Amino acid sequence: MLLKASQLTMAFGAFKAVDDASVAVNEGEVLGLIGPNGAGKSTFFNCLTGDLHPTSGTVHFEGRDVTRLTPEQRARLGIARTFQVPLTFESMSVLDNVMIGAFLRHHAAAAARDKALEVIGEVGLGGAAEASAKSLGTPGRKRLEIARALASEPKVLLLDEAMAGLTPAEIRAAIDLVRQIHRRGITLVIVEHIMEVIVSLADRVVVFHQGREIARGTPSEVTRNELVIEAYLGKRHAAKLSGGTT
Amino acid sequence: MSSILLQVIVSGLLIGAVYALFSSGLTLIWGMMNVINFAHGDFVMLAMYTAFLVWTAFGGGPAASVPIAAVVLATIGVLSYFLLVRHIMRGPMLAQIMGTFGLALLLRYSAFWYFGANFKTLPDTLLGPPFVFGSIRVDAPRLLAGTIGLIVTLSLHLILTRTALGSRMLAVSEDATAAQLMGIRPEHMQAAAWALAAGATGIAGALIATFFYTSPTVGETLAIVAFVTVAFGGFGSVPGALLAGLLIGVIEAVSAFMIGPVYKDVIVYTLFVLVLWTRPQGLMGKA
Amino acid sequence: MMRRALPLLIGALALLYPLLVSGSAVYQRLGALVLLSAIGASAWNLIGGYAGQVSVGHAVFFGAGAYAALAGYAQFGMPPIAGAPIGVGVAILVAALIGVPTLRLSGHYFSMATIAVAELVRVLVTNWEWLGGAQGISGPAIPRTVLDLSFTSAVPYYYIFLAVLVSILFMTWRIEKSRMGFYLRAIKDSERAARSLGVAAGRYKLYAYMLSAGLTAVAGALYAIMFGFVDPESGCGILISVKMLIMAALGGAGLLFGPLVGALILVPLEEISNSLLGGKGAGLTFVVYGAIIVVIARFLPSGLLALFTGLRSPRKPSATEPSHAA
Repeated sequence: MLLKASQLTMAFGAFKAVDDASVAVNEGEVLGLIGPNGAGKSTFFNCLTGDLHPTSGTVHFEGRDVTRLTPEQRARLGIARTFQVPLTFESMSVLDNVMIGAFLRHHAAAAARDKALEVIGEVGLGGAAEASAKSLGTPGRKRLEIARALASEPKVLLLDEAMAGLTPAEIRAAIDLVRQIHRRGITLVIVEHIMEVIVSLADRVVVFHQGREIARGTPSEVTRNELVIEAYLGKRHAAKLSGGTT
Repeated sequence: MSSILLQVIVSGLLIGAVYALFSSGLTLIWGMMNVINFAHGDFVMLAMYTAFLVWTAFGGGPAASVPIAAVVLATIGVLSYFLLVRHIMRGPMLAQIMGTFGLALLLRYSAFWYFGANFKTLPDTLLGPPFVFGSIRVDAPRLLAGTIGLIVTLSLHLILTRTALGSRMLAVSEDATAAQLMGIRPEHMQAAAWALAAGATGIAGALIATFFYTSPTVGETLAIVAFVTVAFGGFGSVPGALLAGLLIGVIEAVSAFMIGPVYKDVIVYTLFVLVLWTRPQGLMGKA
Repeated sequence: MMRRALPLLIGALALLYPLLVSGSAVYQRLGALVLLSAIGASAWNLIGGYAGQVSVGHAVFFGAGAYAALAGYAQFGMPPIAGAPIGVGVAILVAALIGVPTLRLSGHYFSMATIAVAELVRVLVTNWEWLGGAQGISGPAIPRTVLDLSFTSAVPYYYIFLAVLVSILFMTWRIEKSRMGFYLRAIKDSERAARSLGVAAGRYKLYAYMLSAGLTAVAGALYAIMFGFVDPESGCGILISVKMLIMAALGGAGLLFGPLVGALILVPLEEISNSLLGGKGAGLTFVVYGAIIVVIARFLPSGLLALFTGLRSPRKPSATEPSHAA
């Protein structure tokens, strides 16, 4: 087990954004976290990366308790992430952005530059290495964030809605990229809104609703799960879909 | 408790109410648009000179200078917003800080150039003899300043929480885009916040001028008092500023009395650093 | 051709400047003052420009250097230069004390805390008789040995300052090209993203702050050695902090030569307005300063040099977007 969250609760005052969630990520798999808006998946995600510290519960990485570690400490251990709203370094070039990631394992500037150029080529930003990060559109920024994270040579990559705001064609390209990353042996955790993305990428899916886990299984299992349909579409639609009466 | 100490505490509370008033302006701007107005102390200074000019021009006391200073400063606040702050608030942090800081220097040294470095004071007798309550003696200007300070701070709080204007301003500060969709013009609400904040500061300045010396650099000290108050009370909270202002007034008065006037600033600044160190969200702010 | 020739020409000009204006003591002094200001502003640039943490209280460190140089003389008869390392040490220590709690917070808190600490120190120094109180302290009236570095001509100061400035700029340039330089810029753009990539943001900001403080103390010590006098206003006054900030920002904060360009414009401007306006000028000079700051903030938030770097190499626009570090 690579990354494991046990009985995680994150409370903001009286409101529990995540309530007693336990999820384990196996090495080499693609795990999808889904759920309607406000289901707590983003909060859960940020507890895994260290951006939030849970009220109770633990996070283990490679058997080590990382619950109290900061994001930078977790990054050093091999946990990388992207952000829902891209946080690219706006005053820098694409190459410099990726070099920030590469510097984690390569302390000399020349080595970091080589690593960064290699990753930029892999994610298909080769032509834009010298361009300013500001000049990129949404798909470019999302790709840049992935490149930056990959340059830090992570063991697990957490993608926070990496496809949001993309056109269908861009989504197909992004899915190809994620598959390619997975083939390199990097474990993936993807928070996603778009069902098609989850169905085509994830090995296993955990469904959140109102801070709690309501289902887990393969994509085809959870999409047939009544609780899940209910959570996504509301009771009435769920009843209609399953042909029952209320 | 000795009656002298009681006297010291009462005068601390009175000055504290005025601190609360001008600090409310700072905290309002901060809470509403995440901008710190480094020229805030110099707004107070301008209000003090306004009171001084009102007196020299036609011998007007606080009854004239307080409303005039409120209007003058509200105007300056709105102008600052439209000409400067609106343009820099989305820019880099350095530009934000420089913008209001440059404004501070501009105002401070314009006053220095125009009025000279000498202290100006209004006559002590402007408001008549001191009031005596039992063993406590309170100078009339301080009593007036404290009372009005308290009333206006509370009114400001009520405006922000109980009126349509206040809830619109709150909507803009929480989500400007959503507010716009509901037909609220964010720029108008932010300008209104600057008018309210600077206007309240104008009232405070005109009141302080009745018992405190006026000089071009007085704003520097008062700005730090306001920072400390806001840091104590929690950024963006008017009730927090009120409690913190009263607290700081008392701490200042008591330490001036017990240790010596020179060290009252030292005590307050030290407390400020300690608070930033231990409870950056403010003594009364939420964790 | 032009690219090669220009740095050489500027270098030669910097070296020969005192000889070119050998007829005028005023211009020699002006040259030394520009370099001294550029040293202070370049020191500020490390934390304020590269790391984007806007200190408005660097006068504390300047004062530490200036007071250490002259207190060592006044109390123990040491040559002022011997006190400089003590000032640097004190400055680094104070920076750590301020930085550890406040650099964790968002940028605005840091700026406010730096102002408050600077005021606190100014009040303390004013009431500290050992440091001369409100009157300040003087250096040796007559040089005892050459170690006192007390010269009537500004030319020796010019070369000392030039050597120090070149060293600081060289060091800054090395940092800029290294991991630390990249990390500082990343922190300025988005601290949250930087941390997600393994950047120990707090530690790097603290290093930059301590380094910046130490170098600012050097500027303070050099000031005290040249002027042979320091008081609370000239050592720890808020205008000292403001001048460093505005010079760096005018030239270009976070750019290697930004502070120097800012000093080249503002120091002569201050001297001219002081001499033209006489006693009345002091206030007016700072009115002009204030106006310049406002105009830069409003229209040129990245400084003058950014205009040129922006035109020449679009790959590194220096304009910074707001960084919403969560």
